[in-house]
Amino acid sequence: MSRVAFMLREALVNLRRNILVVTGAVLAVFISLGLAFSALAVNELVRINTIAWQQGVHLIVWLNDAGRDGVPADAHENLLNEVLTWEEVANAYYVDKTAAYEEFLDLFGDNPEMVEALQNPSALPTSIRIELADIELYQQVEFRLQQYPQLIQRISSAAQEIEQISAVSRVLNLLGIGLSIVLGVSAMILIANTIRLAIYARRDEVSIMKLVGASNWFIRVPFLLEGLIEGLVGAALAVFAVWVAGRNLAGAAEGIQLVNLQVPNAFFLRWGVVFLLFGAAAGVLGSLLGLSRYLREADGGGRPAGVRRALEPV
Amino acid sequence: MIRLEDVTKVYEGGTVAVRDVSLDIPKGEFVFLVGPSGSGKSTLIRLMLREEAVTRGTIYVAGKDITALPAWKVPYLRRSIGTVFQDFKLLPNKTVFENVAFALEVLGRPRSVIGPQVEQVLELVGLADKAERYPRQLSGGEQQRVSIARAFVNRPPIMLCDEPTGNLDPATSVGIMKLLDRINRTGTTIVMATHDHAIVDAMQRRVVQLSNGVVIRDEVAGRYETVGEQ
Repeated sequence: MSRVAFMLREALVNLRRNILVVTGAVLAVFISLGLAFSALAVNELVRINTIAWQQGVHLIVWLNDAGRDGVPADAHENLLNEVLTWEEVANAYYVDKTAAYEEFLDLFGDNPEMVEALQNPSALPTSIRIELADIELYQQVEFRLQQYPQLIQRISSAAQEIEQISAVSRVLNLLGIGLSIVLGVSAMILIANTIRLAIYARRDEVSIMKLVGASNWFIRVPFLLEGLIEGLVGAALAVFAVWVAGRNLAGAAEGIQLVNLQVPNAFFLRWGVVFLLFGAAAGVLGSLLGLSRYLREADGGGRPAGVRRALEPV
Repeated sequence: MIRLEDVTKVYEGGTVAVRDVSLDIPKGEFVFLVGPSGSGKSTLIRLMLREEAVTRGTIYVAGKDITALPAWKVPYLRRSIGTVFQDFKLLPNKTVFENVAFALEVLGRPRSVIGPQVEQVLELVGLADKAERYPRQLSGGEQQRVSIARAFVNRPPIMLCDEPTGNLDPATSVGIMKLLDRINRTGTTIVMATHDHAIVDAMQRRVVQLSNGVVIRDEVAGRYETVGEQ
């Protein structure tokens, strides 16, 4: 027990007394993991916005008025019911003339000239709004709708544009994930190397400890704890900084409706934990790698065979 | 206490540092290893400490063959040997007290035991009032006293000293030798490598002289150089 307490005390005292080197290591973790975490957060935003764009109305089927020009009175209702049975369709609803006028006022209410120009509100066509189960199925649905030429005035589709956005998003997503991985690996190497250098600066200490009879683990544990703490603190700072930046960005972009810049807290919570573990692992790994050489050097191991050969002529 | 049987050490590259050295050092003895630089004194100390592995031969410490010791047991050997070096080898980030206490911490002694024991040994070396200083705040002689305090704090049966006065002025060296003499009188075996003529001549203890890695003289109550040799 006293040994565990001693090793913990050692780690904390060393952190305090080597504050400059420790700050360097923490900054290395902070910057590298901050970059990796930012890339991941941007990737999340792309993903969220892609989903948002993919949801909602994909097709609007503008209808000829029912009960006129040979269109039966119940044709609209029948078509809606028919469309709802199609497996490509996730949802569909009917927008009658009153609802269409309300929508018109919503869009152009602040433009009196437009409102005035629409002399007769009932001139607005009724429509069926369709949300697709899969955006890529829009052509099949359009084809099926073309079977009702006398009922349908025209079809407006946002699907093609959404599909293009989705394709761009997919590329961005892949780039984001790739960038996060590259930055993550760089972070791991940078952190491990920084801590290795910090240990290099203290290699004499390691050899002195060994001379006094300290076992490898007795020397190793305080260094591992130091690396762990440096990794954790750097990672926590990185997660916190990206979270604050994300909040500010979302606050600044509050008025923008087209793009959602709000990274959900659940994302920060989930990935924050992963990054903390990552930072801690990098710190511990760096310490292990940095120490192994100096611990081996002071061991005075077995008799090397090459040397024994050199003895022969003696 | 220490026995070397036909010990040979050849470094990578073929340099023979020590050749067929046999020595028997009984408990409580004070032995000087003398000889010019490169004669193999320090190598012998390093071999006894298992800092280096022998190329051939056997070394027994307290009856145990340390050349056959697995690496994980080496720390146990070192805990029974106090070491003092020319460059003091103190931990720069630890105070005098912490440096000395470290030798007891590795043994897992509780703090209640460590405190009084360290104070006692600092009293012995005359540094009780400098316990909270860092090595850089001490003179060379004081740093060597800390090093001796650390080597002796757990009362090891053996102390190995490699040129402990090499960096010190003559007056300070005398103080250090008096301290080592006091420790030796408590029954601790001391092996000291040196090329300080004055000290060896003044102490009149066993002298083992090395030349090119070979023992050329082993004399009880000897001097640094035999009469007539220059």
